[in-house]
Amino acid sequence: MPSKLRFVVGAGLIVLAIGYLITTAVRNTSEYYLTVNEVSARQAQLKDQMLRVAGRVKGGSISWDPATLTLAFVIVSPPNSDGSQVKPIASADPAEFRVVARGEPKPDMFAAGRDVIVEGRLAADGTIEARQVLTSCPSKYVPKQAK
Amino acid sequence: MPFIGQLALALALLVAVYSIGANLLGIRRNSPDLLLSARHALWAMCAMVTVAVAALWMSLLTNDFSLEYVASYSSVTLPIQYKFAALWGGQQGSLLFWTWLLSIFTAIAIFQNRRRNPEITPWALIVLAAVAIFFLGMLNFVTRPFDLLATVPPDGSDLNPLLQNYWMAIHPPSLYTGYVSAAVPFAFACGALITRKLDDGWIRTTRRWAIFSWFFLTLGNLFGARWAYEVLGWGGYWAWDPVENAAFMPWLVMTAYLHSVMIQERKDMLKVWNLALIGMAFMLTLFGTFLTRSGVISSVHSFTQSGLGPYFLTFLIVVAAGYTALLASRVKDLKSPAEFESYLSREAAFLFNNLVLVGIAFAVFWGTVFPVISEAVRGVKITVGPPFFDKVNGPLVLGLIFLMGVGPLIAWRRTSPQTLMRTFLAPLTMGVGAGVAVFAMGLRQWYVLTALSLAAFALGTVIVEFRRGVSARRHLVRETPARALVNLVAKNNRRYGGYIIHLGVVFAFIGIVASSFFRTEVKHSVRQGQSFTIGAYEITYLGLKGVETAHLEDLSARLVVRSGGREIATMAPAKLFYKRQQQPATRVAIRSTPLADLYVVLAGVDDRSGLATFEVFLTPLVFWLWAGGLMMALGTVIVMWPNVRERAALAAALGRDEALGAEPAPGGD
Repeated sequence: MPSKLRFVVGAGLIVLAIGYLITTAVRNTSEYYLTVNEVSARQAQLKDQMLRVAGRVKGGSISWDPATLTLAFVIVSPPNSDGSQVKPIASADPAEFRVVARGEPKPDMFAAGRDVIVEGRLAADGTIEARQVLTSCPSKYVPKQAK
Repeated sequence: MPFIGQLALALALLVAVYSIGANLLGIRRNSPDLLLSARHALWAMCAMVTVAVAALWMSLLTNDFSLEYVASYSSVTLPIQYKFAALWGGQQGSLLFWTWLLSIFTAIAIFQNRRRNPEITPWALIVLAAVAIFFLGMLNFVTRPFDLLATVPPDGSDLNPLLQNYWMAIHPPSLYTGYVSAAVPFAFACGALITRKLDDGWIRTTRRWAIFSWFFLTLGNLFGARWAYEVLGWGGYWAWDPVENAAFMPWLVMTAYLHSVMIQERKDMLKVWNLALIGMAFMLTLFGTFLTRSGVISSVHSFTQSGLGPYFLTFLIVVAAGYTALLASRVKDLKSPAEFESYLSREAAFLFNNLVLVGIAFAVFWGTVFPVISEAVRGVKITVGPPFFDKVNGPLVLGLIFLMGVGPLIAWRRTSPQTLMRTFLAPLTMGVGAGVAVFAMGLRQWYVLTALSLAAFALGTVIVEFRRGVSARRHLVRETPARALVNLVAKNNRRYGGYIIHLGVVFAFIGIVASSFFRTEVKHSVRQGQSFTIGAYEITYLGLKGVETAHLEDLSARLVVRSGGREIATMAPAKLFYKRQQQPATRVAIRSTPLADLYVVLAGVDDRSGLATFEVFLTPLVFWLWAGGLMMALGTVIVMWPNVRERAALAAALGRDEALGAEPAPGGD
């Protein structure tokens, strides 16, 4: 049936176009999404790559300069976040990375001990130059005094 | 109170189970009494869930912190409107709210179909009850809203500050209403498949439900975007976060469905496709809930991770597999006599619009689940961020706007190229004219030029349609043009309401394009008395003002905005500090005009240096996104308005079956 065939061809072309858009966009926009420990494990191959790193803000590591809008802190792996409770015995000190974000205001939810997602580039010296720092917003809070 | 609520939920579960048994037995034995009893059981379910909701609301309002839920999501000082909103502020409450809506909609569907669809309705009610049982099961056994705490805290830990905002009070209910009401057309689709009554009776019966659902999905997405814009303080309104995507996907599929059912009503085609679409729409609403509740996808809105994920996934798989099998077993009955004849036809435009809409939904789905898939396949979690969605959806939306311009004017079945040229001359001229004008203004981005041309083209189509209708009316009756316009819309509300929705889409699209491409942003740290500029505006920081209540501290900056040396506005962006949660939040100041929004965030105040940091965005035409969204809502109301002709068509569609004497109508009508 030629008319039916024509429509199958037309619809097929649209489907192909959508598929093409998706595959090229995936290739051009994907970023690694890693935990702090994962970054530390494959640090060598990640140099200069765009990353999203999930971790926790280390207490006492935050410095914030409002004049230059520079936020620096240390990101660590939250306890038990990788699903593997057992820490490898070999690495005595847990993985951590210095994060520097320039030109962005400090997010409201940002504080020591909060879970954050850092989006940025891993520089040669092991610092993550962040383009964006996202704070997770849990729907439920446990107030500090209740603990 | 907690005991009453818990008991009501248990009873609701029991009567829901009973209703399925009574319906099944009633269908089998052809017993009107049993079917009636099943309907009564579902009324009782609705009453019981209502009692549970009332109990939770009472507990919230009376600060009953012996309830874990109240202690987690409320506090003594929480303003009363947010105590109401706390019902959907947390997981257990939002599932209870969901179930409540489902039970109400089920009751309404029973009432509407008390003398209609005697064969399909019992099956539809079985489906609705099954969905309700799943949710009630969760509420009774897995995530219980009435769980008590061992020790009663003196105060609750308060609602998330980001949720203490009036948009948050109306955004979730809208979205949930949209989500849940999709269950009704789905249930009737199942009923039609099971009973093999596969004409368009089920579509006409639930058409209003589908539009109702679409209306609230539209509002839910719009309010959500507005909430993000006003509360999150990054100057944008949409970040392609999984949670946003979860709300967007059902909207896309529902939009496709509302268009393609017109082809079935008109040409008796695309039956399988329509059934597939409504199935997809319903499953996407479940998927959305699964996504937000399972923690499977990391989102900025990471919700409390709970054990709900596996249950939802199982339920989703059961629904998907069951529905697919049911649909597959009926494909033979769904053969359509009619066929597509030409590319140059409205059917073709609708079909392609459907493909593009579902394609966008698929792309959004793919981008959302990509981290999970990449981890499963390659062992590495790879995410695609907003650029992915922009890159894929940008071109697809252009196609959609083009088809939106073509659809209303092109004839059914086929059109000759000559007629086509004549019909589209005016809109095409408008489109090209707009493109040239924008080019002359100095804009060179190909996307913006194409987008604005297509928007003008789609706008032109709608104008042509209105003009045509008005002049046809004035030909027949002597009326002023304004009067003719009003009567035109009133007499053909489905058609012209739809065009008003199209107008809204065009405006919203223009707003989105302009705000995505031309937003400018500056960040400055200034001392009192200092100024900075953005665009044509000069902003001076005058000082701080602090207000403190029992609930929060409110520190606002006073700013004067000048343009051309003239003072045009004062603005007061603020930093809030919620005491109970020890949590800062931002209150954005927005000066909105149809041309551009000036959006000021007080990003921080440094006590030592006295520097106040401001982040300021100038976003052109974003006003039209909100205006267009409201226009879409208005158009939908017009479409939903009761219409004599439609009721007659429904009666005719159902009469085809009832003429065979399916049920002796009790009491006439």
